Amino acid sequence: MQEDYINIILADDDADDRLFFTDAFEELKINTRVKTFNDGVYLMDYLNTENCVLPNVLFLDLNMPRKSGLECLRELKKFDKFNDIAIAIYSTSASEEDIEKTFIMGANIYIKKPNDFKTLKKVLQEVVTINWQYYTNGLNKDNFLLRL
Amino acid sequence: MPARIFKKSWLIKSIFFISAFIILVIGGTTYKKIEDLSQSSALLTQTYKVNVELEKIFSHLKDAETGQRGFIITNDPIYLDPYNVGRENINSSYAELKVLGKDNIALQNNLRELNILIDKRMEYFEKAFRFSSVGNYNDENFKENFYNGKKLMDTIRVKIKGMIDSENELLRKRQQTYESNLKVTPMFLYMVLLLSLVLMFITYSKIIRDLKKIKAANEQLEIFKESTKQSEIIGQQGNWIWDIEESAFTYSDNLYRLLGEEPQSFTPTLDNFLNFVHPEDVEKLQKDVDKMMINEDLPFIYYRIIQKNGTIRHFKACAKLHRNLDGKKQLLGITTDITNEIEHFKTLEERNLELERNNKELSAFNYVASHDLQEPLRKIQTFLSRLEDKESSKLSETGILYIDRIKNAATRMRLLIDDLLQFSRTNKSDKAFELVDINILLENAKQDLAELISEENAIITSNKLPTINVIPFQIQQLFSNLISNSLKYKSKDRIPEIRIVYSKIKASEEPQISNPKKPYYHKITFTDNGIGFDNEYAENIFVLFNRLHNKDEYSGTGIGLSICKKIVENHQGFIFGSGKPNAGATFTIYLPFI
Repeated sequence: MQEDYINIILADDDADDRLFFTDAFEELKINTRVKTFNDGVYLMDYLNTENCVLPNVLFLDLNMPRKSGLECLRELKKFDKFNDIAIAIYSTSASEEDIEKTFIMGANIYIKKPNDFKTLKKVLQEVVTINWQYYTNGLNKDNFLLRL
Repeated sequence: MPARIFKKSWLIKSIFFISAFIILVIGGTTYKKIEDLSQSSALLTQTYKVNVELEKIFSHLKDAETGQRGFIITNDPIYLDPYNVGRENINSSYAELKVLGKDNIALQNNLRELNILIDKRMEYFEKAFRFSSVGNYNDENFKENFYNGKKLMDTIRVKIKGMIDSENELLRKRQQTYESNLKVTPMFLYMVLLLSLVLMFITYSKIIRDLKKIKAANEQLEIFKESTKQSEIIGQQGNWIWDIEESAFTYSDNLYRLLGEEPQSFTPTLDNFLNFVHPEDVEKLQKDVDKMMINEDLPFIYYRIIQKNGTIRHFKACAKLHRNLDGKKQLLGITTDITNEIEHFKTLEERNLELERNNKELSAFNYVASHDLQEPLRKIQTFLSRLEDKESSKLSETGILYIDRIKNAATRMRLLIDDLLQFSRTNKSDKAFELVDINILLENAKQDLAELISEENAIITSNKLPTINVIPFQIQQLFSNLISNSLKYKSKDRIPEIRIVYSKIKASEEPQISNPKKPYYHKITFTDNGIGFDNEYAENIFVLFNRLHNKDEYSGTGIGLSICKKIVENHQGFIFGSGKPNAGATFTIYLPFI
């Protein structure tokens, strides 16, 4: 049953962004199961519970209270069991600094939150349907930031 | 120069010793010569005396003979007196001669022989008397005796004559020596005196010359001393000398002044100096001084002193080892009052801190602008797009128009925020300069604008650009801003054309450049055929948010050219704009040629 769905998790403290995110997936014709968490602490608590369903793609907002996206990323990279999760940074800004840092820390893609809903849908479809195995092999600093 | 004079002093010393030696020699020789002279004259007198005595002896003998003859003839004892007296006189003369001839071996031998002859003669006299007392004058013996006496007398005469002759010979020789002595001695003395005079003159002129040099050197030293005094006062410096071997200090006048005291008002000792030192610094300074005494060197040290009126001053001191002319070790030290420098430094540091704080605030503000302003704007835009997609059918035409207006405003706001962000990110700190072929950067810029360029059918021509040390992405940004600026302000009547021309120029030949930092610059011009502008605004166009046109006519935030200016200034370059309304604009960039 698991194979039929793409499991997606978003950790973002912004309610509007969570709404756009879930709305976008609802409109997309892809079999996805979307879970959202309000911050990094909730996210890590969930991921660390036994027998939880690990997501295929994890969207991480960087700027979150209590535990930031960077901290989550650091923790995730410590454990082998999270190795298969594709991590997409999902942030308002795309500053050189943040891009560089998250790339070095092992995130798979960097997404700048789009300004309109159509683009958001396009971006999310793109990211969710990427063949991560293949994509990660050709990953470098230049194509790390998703451009559409 | 003084060192050279002192080195020459060995010459003077040796001349002095030679002169002294010569004078000693003259003295010695003169003494010797005078001694010789007086000896020669003594010898002369002696020879004369010897001759006189010899003559006397012979005459006494003759007297004795005469007396004897008289007695024999007359038999009157009165004639015996000369004989008796003669005998005594001969003895005394003989004794005299013995004394005179004590140094003359030949004379002594002759005297001894003469004595024997005289004795024999006397014997004959005695015998003759014996015969005469008997009155037997015809006796054969008496005749023989008398004859022998006469013969002996002849021998004596010959002997004495020989002696006088040899004495005369001696006299002659002595006279000769005496005369030659008399002749040579003054000549010799005169020559030697002359020589010593010459030497003295050389020494004298040498000393005079050296004195002149020393005087000149002294004058220079005096001037130097005076200027040192002045510079000490102006430079707030004090000098001190530490004679290592004698462990004695000398302070310059100004060192006392730096301590707030009258010059030379206390004994310059270490303890007296330490009295002025700030209590917190005494221990450290003492350590430094101890180290200085061991190492015989003093690197820069810093400490504070308290003047008697309570003022705290900051001092800096250092010293170097020096050997004086006597080869004694001295530590020459300089102490500087650096209170003013330290105060300046403190103000500078405070200002720097303030600037840093301001910069931090600015970048914090930039972050706020980038993040916190963008987020609500993004929401507005996203919700607007949701509204358009889902609810537009339910809206009136006016409603749709309003939504359109909101959308435009939001887009414009986004543009502003993006440009502002770009502007604030355009600083050079932590951006690395790289040696790059800027042809590639121009190509990249054109690539970025490819869509716009092809839309406008714009023609961009450029000649070969150089390879320069730049912050690559900023130069690319500069090119892309300039090109998009030209395309934005294109003329509606013409196909946009941009000509990019490069040349290497001399800063002095370019009147636009004031205060160039480098002698040569790379000059790159961007000339377009757009709407241009009045040169009145040539400077305004680079001011942030400054726009020449209504935003409905030409979209623009008034930031693009400000970014260009900032980028060029980051590269220590210059950018100028000039235009002609409805003909075009030219932007000239100068980048330093390194």
